[in-house]
Amino acid sequence: MSNGRAVNGFLLDITGVLYNSIYKSDGIAIPKSAEAVNFLYQHSKVKFLSNAKGNSNRNVARRLQRLGINVREEDVITPAPVVAQYLRENDLRPHLFVRDDVLEYFHGIDTTSPNCVVMGEVEEGFSFDRINRAFRVLIDMPKPLLITMGNGKFFQRIDGPCIDVGAFAAALKFSTNCEVLNIGKPSHFYFEQGMNALGMKPEEIVMIGDDLMSDVGGAQACGMRGIQVRTGKWRPDFEKMGVTPDLTADCLFDAVKQIADNGFRL
Amino acid sequence: MSKISAVLIDLSGTLHVEELAIPGTQAALQLLRKHVQVKFVTNTTKESQSLLYERLKTCGFQIEKHEIFTSLVAARDLILQNHYRPFFILDDRAMEDFEGIPTEDPNAVVIGLAPEKFNDSTMTAAFRLIKEKNASLIAIHKGRYYQKKDGLHLGPGAYVSGLEYSTGVKAEVVGKPEKLFFEAALKTLGKDVDFSNAVMIGDDVNDDVLGAIQAGMRGILVKTGKFRDGDDLKVRNVANSFVEAVDMIIGNKVEND
Repeated sequence: MSNGRAVNGFLLDITGVLYNSIYKSDGIAIPKSAEAVNFLYQHSKVKFLSNAKGNSNRNVARRLQRLGINVREEDVITPAPVVAQYLRENDLRPHLFVRDDVLEYFHGIDTTSPNCVVMGEVEEGFSFDRINRAFRVLIDMPKPLLITMGNGKFFQRIDGPCIDVGAFAAALKFSTNCEVLNIGKPSHFYFEQGMNALGMKPEEIVMIGDDLMSDVGGAQACGMRGIQVRTGKWRPDFEKMGVTPDLTADCLFDAVKQIADNGFRL
Repeated sequence: MSKISAVLIDLSGTLHVEELAIPGTQAALQLLRKHVQVKFVTNTTKESQSLLYERLKTCGFQIEKHEIFTSLVAARDLILQNHYRPFFILDDRAMEDFEGIPTEDPNAVVIGLAPEKFNDSTMTAAFRLIKEKNASLIAIHKGRYYQKKDGLHLGPGAYVSGLEYSTGVKAEVVGKPEKLFFEAALKTLGKDVDFSNAVMIGDDVNDDVLGAIQAGMRGILVKTGKFRDGDDLKVRNVANSFVEAVDMIIGNKVEND
């Protein structure tokens, strides 16, 4: 790997790249991810583009800090505040199907007679009663709109793969014929938040993630380079799924080291 | 318009809503029986044949238990044929129809309607079986939603679609609107019955009426149960209720679809 194009900025996925998720706990840091983050803060520019929907940016950063990974709150991008901004700009009145921890972002937004449903739950928050409430709100709309924070098929927890929000979006779409707007990776609109935060053009940026379709494929579709790490939800069969990463590395540290050793070119 | 000789009739939302008969339907059914053969076909997935029978009796319908053809009965046949050991996502009351079927070390996920089980942990358990153990995905039916006294509820089609999305595996569907289901129901009425002189009456525009039309029968949509404005624009034969649908059949006014 010599020459290549300049890499001026890094977008990192969080879950499965910096740490692995454990049910009802902080999770566990992936070896050397803390060093990789420190290195990027010192030698390049880095932002964290996550589909995490359970916590505020502050609590995402705090959790990482407790794991010894020094990520600054202002460098974290998650869907909830981006969705809230989108609602304000488009005069949308949501029925909120989200975690309590992100409600602060929606303060002041009118939620009476909703004209969309915003879905960003995780794990046991997907109870039948709450899903059915969202369903009833959607089916009564003349033009049902479901805004989902990411459209993931599953996410990887230490105990195994777990169903993700995309399954519940598909369920509601099937039963209501709603339009589904994903504000999260791999949507172009969401990757733009990362580009804007870095203040760079897509061709200057690499995205590093564990999800082949959402992180790697999504970034490539926006003109960035996409790097696959073999941590988190990575599986050997990813290699037959039609997306070719610009680089595949064993872990975040390994990916960063390869690019740095090549003079920040890929 | 050939004369109708066999009628398939949906139950919930067409003849009754929960424990209440839709007004006039009991007498209309008696009248219909004088002209044609009938079979009751239902996608209700949480109730066994006996339970449905008892409910219809309570509602005042004159009916025999063997006249009810359910998607659970069809599912049991499929499970036995394929030697499936299912992980059941079913209401406990439906389990009566699956007595004696082994369930250890599951190689299939069988989904019916079990609202309280439509949650994160059940979906994850099913996802892992399909993705990691190559279990088959069987849907008793793929209904979008259904009507209860307190309002609309998500149907099993929602869970099934969610699992299809996340696993990339397509479900095998047993109940309405599958052609095999309508065929099996009509077959029980004898050799002389064929699709061209059979009609399906139901409140679900997709699963009852359009499904029957796809299978080569005619269909009548009733504006009761889960009927929503706009459904009537999708089909040719529409009746205000089962009572009016019976009048259409007897008066030979069911148009060809």
